[in-house]
Amino acid sequence: MQIINQTHSQTKSNQLQTQKAENFLEIKGVSKIYPTSDGPYTVLEEVNLQVREGEFVCIIGHSGCGKSTLLNMVSGLNKPTEGVICLQGQPIAEPGPERMMVFQNYCLLPWLSVFDNVYLAVDSVFPKKTQAQKRAIVKEHLAMVGLAEAADKKPHQISGGMKQRVAIARALAIRPQVLILDEPFGALDAITKEELQEELLQIWCNHQVTVLMITHDIDEALFLADTIVMMTNGPAAKIGEVLKIPFSRPRNRRRIMEDPQYYDLRNYALDFLYRRCPHSEE
Amino acid sequence: MKTFVEVDHVDRVFDIPNGGKYIALKNIELKIRQGEFISLLGHSGCGKSTLLNIIAGLDKATVGGVTLEGREVKEPGPDRMVVFQNYSLLPWLTVRENIALAVDEVFKDKPKGERRSIVEEHIDMVGLRHAAKKRPSELSGGMKQRVAIARALAIRPKLLLLDEPFGALDALTRGSLQEQLMKICNQHNVTCVMVTHDVDEALFLSDRIVMLTNGPEAHIGQILEVPIPRPRQRLEVVNHPSYYRLRNEMIYFLNQQKLLKKRKAAQIPASTLTVSGTLEKIHLEIGFMPLTDAAPLIVAKEKGFFANYGLETVILNRADNWTEIATGVAAGKLDAAQMLAGMPLALTLGAGGKTPIPVVNALNLSRNSNAITLSKKLYSEGVRTPEKLKATIKAYPDRILTLGIAHPTAMQNLILRYWLAAGGIDPDRDISLAVIPPTQMVKQLKAGIIDGYCAGEPWNYLAVRENAGFVAATALEIWPGQPKKVLGVREDWAQKHPKTYVALVKALLEACKYCDDLRNREEIVELICRPQYLDIDPACVRPGFIAPYDRGDGMPPQNLTTYHQFYLHQTNCPNRTELLWMVTQMARWGLVPFPKNWVEVIERVCRTDVFGAAARDLGLLDIEQDDPIHLFDGKVFNPSQPIEYLQSLEIKRQIRIEEVFI
Repeated sequence: MQIINQTHSQTKSNQLQTQKAENFLEIKGVSKIYPTSDGPYTVLEEVNLQVREGEFVCIIGHSGCGKSTLLNMVSGLNKPTEGVICLQGQPIAEPGPERMMVFQNYCLLPWLSVFDNVYLAVDSVFPKKTQAQKRAIVKEHLAMVGLAEAADKKPHQISGGMKQRVAIARALAIRPQVLILDEPFGALDAITKEELQEELLQIWCNHQVTVLMITHDIDEALFLADTIVMMTNGPAAKIGEVLKIPFSRPRNRRRIMEDPQYYDLRNYALDFLYRRCPHSEE
Repeated sequence: MKTFVEVDHVDRVFDIPNGGKYIALKNIELKIRQGEFISLLGHSGCGKSTLLNIIAGLDKATVGGVTLEGREVKEPGPDRMVVFQNYSLLPWLTVRENIALAVDEVFKDKPKGERRSIVEEHIDMVGLRHAAKKRPSELSGGMKQRVAIARALAIRPKLLLLDEPFGALDALTRGSLQEQLMKICNQHNVTCVMVTHDVDEALFLSDRIVMLTNGPEAHIGQILEVPIPRPRQRLEVVNHPSYYRLRNEMIYFLNQQKLLKKRKAAQIPASTLTVSGTLEKIHLEIGFMPLTDAAPLIVAKEKGFFANYGLETVILNRADNWTEIATGVAAGKLDAAQMLAGMPLALTLGAGGKTPIPVVNALNLSRNSNAITLSKKLYSEGVRTPEKLKATIKAYPDRILTLGIAHPTAMQNLILRYWLAAGGIDPDRDISLAVIPPTQMVKQLKAGIIDGYCAGEPWNYLAVRENAGFVAATALEIWPGQPKKVLGVREDWAQKHPKTYVALVKALLEACKYCDDLRNREEIVELICRPQYLDIDPACVRPGFIAPYDRGDGMPPQNLTTYHQFYLHQTNCPNRTELLWMVTQMARWGLVPFPKNWVEVIERVCRTDVFGAAARDLGLLDIEQDDPIHLFDGKVFNPSQPIEYLQSLEIKRQIRIEEVFI
């Protein structure tokens, strides 16, 4: 009897935990409408999404579908016209260190060294820590992305892949709960891209951070994500379909690609993007 | 296949500031048909854009050249148009004006009205009628690239060259442009060469995908044929049964190149090594077997070639059997050794369940000089060919014939098995094969322990001389030019002694050249027969080497001038196609699994870079033969499809395909 009770209470607490985690980040009925001279222009319409704590979500869609607009609202750089976005139940009103954004173009300060670029962020978020503590945080995060030896270099002295590593280290150094990545590897060559994807997964795994990432690359999304959110075309873009990616973790790129499910999912996504929501450029 | 464009043995070498050379492209050979769509695929820095520029005439090959319809490409011309990733449109001109500028320039002689209609036709072709009056700044990236394509096609080029045309566009926008490009190419039968690193793009558009290895010395690693019928639809091609197999093969190739790149980064490129400097090691021990084709090693020592290249003392260590050679190098007791052609591969792959030990080959020391000897008894039964041998085996079901081979990795084993199988004899089931040191072959044949063997010289001629057997087939009939002996060193030895390695290859290359000058052969016979080397009566060595060769089959002795080949006909450059063929044969008979990562394995074993550095220093040709394999049964070996080749062979063991971690 006792045993049964115990099991019962455990299940209950698990349920509670899961429930809490399920609603970690909530996008509820979000629309974004810009006023223009030709009248209101709806970028996003009625977007609903729930993200679990620690989930890796990739958002994919043609250019102009409002992906970046959506993530800008999550980061607080922009506000929904309708609806609300909540992080742990609290509506997001402005940018905050618990939600860090990494852009495709790195956004490093060119006159500061790699170390100082990261330090600047740490210093502004943790003003009460001692200098030694802050320096230790910077060092730890540069080492994590394999840049310990490039700490004294200026951005122009390092490759694109390294710059993106700095940007990721900077974002993670301030211990955000949500990492928002706007096509972070779009400008990199194939080899560097794959290396960084693997590093990102490693970091995500160690930090238990929740990730929202924009990409145009279906293979990238399939390798990284728990969930792929596919957007319809704008204007008035919405979530067209949500794909759950069943591959176990830790993931091995080769093994995933040998899995027949991989191609079913890939073809399904291709079909969505090219047939059901084809992009018309003009 | 009628050749429209030929890239003829192209090298591109750049001078680098410190006075050295950077060999970007090495020995690129490619023939393109009219109307064909070719993709050049490889990692960044592999020289694919350089190659495209050479075809365009924007850059010049250092060695070799490009022909278009038989005429050499010397400069850029309107018959070859290039479309670049960055569009290269004039910002102050409209879409129409950008296209008209090119048309007016190229078709100066045509009336204005005709030029005008060409421009309009091409605006429609890429679907930009509505944007004809817009300037580039008002267009999206995809639209700009369509203008660039329209401009290129408007001047009716014979060849359209595209350098990552969609690289600046996001992965999803690319799709519709690829579809448009393909439609235009099909309608106008345009021949295209496109540089890309996008595997899906290459698969969707191409007839053939040419995959380049990494630089330095980038070369064609594999060519994939895309059998998907045209017209192709983006969403349908992914459902073609071969789509994901081909895609995986490309990704696998790129991944192997990635691994090789990482490994290479730790090495010093061979091409920078010949610029003076002291050798890491000047006292060497080199293993050899007492066979006629040990001549280059013996000559290099006795004629002072080793010393000329700074190798002060070289001890030639005579071995009794091939296992001694293999273990000597594997254990590091020998710096280098004369090896059987298949031995570096077998050691690298860990044949026979051994731990793989990477061994590299930068020099082939000899070719041919193998033969199949059968007993006089079989001769008297009328056996001359494998078909006849099969008939005899059938006629005497109780008798099990035994044939000798020197070592499982010997070319002789592979050749003998191939010869038998071509005659319908299963070498593992219909007869018995025994490994016997070559020095024992004649004795055992005489004693009736074996019924024949495949061996090097002088062991075939000796059987004839002792009236114990006859030569049923020589290397020249089975596969003229087959590799026989190579110089094998451990890969880590090569890395530790890069300069010594090049010096060693140079000394032996000179010795090989010396050996193929027939005027020197008398002297060489005397040298190699000395007690410390072959320790044999020169009369046994002379036939086939310097004197006519008696096969013991009742026919008059023949002059076999290329039976011992040391230098001529590109003997010395290690050849990837040959190595790959050997791997297929070893896998065929279950000696090794066929390595899924065969590109990587061959790249590691085959050190054409070291050979090239040595050969160039001596002013000699530094490239491998294009099409080296011509077997007597006429079966074609396509080096891009080794697994298909293996599967097409009738007599074989269970083929295992595995990744080999080395």
